[in-house]
Amino acid sequence: MAGASMKAIKLRIKSVESTMQITKAMQLVATSKLRRAKERMENSKPYAAISREAIMAAVAQCVDPQVPFVTPREVKNRCYVVIAGERGLAGGYNANVFKAVAAHAEDTPYCVLPLGRKAIDKFQRLGVTLLDDTIGHVEGLSVSRCYRLTQELIEGYKRGDYDELVLVYTSFRSMMSQEVQVEQLLPIQKPENQPPRNVVTIYEPSPEEMLEKAVPDYLAGKLYSAVCDSFASEVSARRNAMDSATKNAGEMISGLRLKYNRARQGAITQEITEIVAGAEQ
Amino acid sequence: MSTFHLQIVTPDRMVFDGEAQKIILRTVNGDVCILPHHIDFAIPLGIGQAYVTDENGETRQAACNSGMLSVSGNEVRVIPVTFEWADEIDLERARRAGEAAEERMKSMDHQDRDYVMAEAKLKRALTRINTKEM
Repeated sequence: MAGASMKAIKLRIKSVESTMQITKAMQLVATSKLRRAKERMENSKPYAAISREAIMAAVAQCVDPQVPFVTPREVKNRCYVVIAGERGLAGGYNANVFKAVAAHAEDTPYCVLPLGRKAIDKFQRLGVTLLDDTIGHVEGLSVSRCYRLTQELIEGYKRGDYDELVLVYTSFRSMMSQEVQVEQLLPIQKPENQPPRNVVTIYEPSPEEMLEKAVPDYLAGKLYSAVCDSFASEVSARRNAMDSATKNAGEMISGLRLKYNRARQGAITQEITEIVAGAEQ
Repeated sequence: MSTFHLQIVTPDRMVFDGEAQKIILRTVNGDVCILPHHIDFAIPLGIGQAYVTDENGETRQAACNSGMLSVSGNEVRVIPVTFEWADEIDLERARRAGEAAEERMKSMDHQDRDYVMAEAKLKRALTRINTKEM
């Protein structure tokens, strides 16, 4: 009887050990990817911040109310650009993004441009219209790819396929915390309570025309930086998840070892008792 | 000589962040030259060569592609899509890209959207080649 349970415990230990090897390996992979991902993220930040500032200054000076990128329309249909991961096992990383989309969308019909395998699968299951279902791999998404995507998104917006363009991604705060961001890309919202500037900026040809030309570039840069930000978040979320999984596995193994030794001891004691009992007869 | 603070930033990196004496850029309205204490100014950029004169008076050449220029106070920001110094340009690659674009243009209608894109590609390639070879 004792022999059978010892064998079972031994098998459990083995299976937990092999799981631990996997989680440990994934943790190491994530750690090594993290450095590059963070570097890429840091490099993409200045552009997003500086171009945003320049665009907002021009938006504030727009007098024409009919600039396509600025004028809000009645929202009949939205488009979400959703950036998620290629794989799971990253804690709540993917689920949090999807939750944010569902919470923001409410009852308005929407279509999605999913980036990352998990996002494609998720929205395909939901039966939402996908603008593109070929980008499963977020890690190496290049700047020029982001430009082409943005161009298509803007064309759709101008055609009136959707009246609002919203970006949902995960922002890297620190190794321990990543936060889902929901940001409206189009129409561009005029900055509120901006201090009035008494300097007059000359826009050539005009603020409106400049926006027409510069907004696509700005959005592409924004998309690229969100992709880098999300990937850094994904990798660090995975690292954390795998780190705690490895720790849990370690604890389980030491618990099982204890149980195994007790069972072994019990079996030996029983055997001795049986031998002694046999000799006494 | 007086200088201004110049930042050149592309989506994937900060190319230049420091003091400069002068910058010449190709905009949608032709070439402009920005000197210190320029009036506040913003304009979209075209595809063309850029010349940056740093605080030591040394001029460097680069191939600059689209985006915008923004001058605010004595802060000059160049926000292009791509920006490559002459010594970073891969001449072989630019030549190949140019030839491929030309090839594509031959088989296309002038009104086509792809034609315009191929034309821009050719222009970028030629700018890179010119920047490198000058």
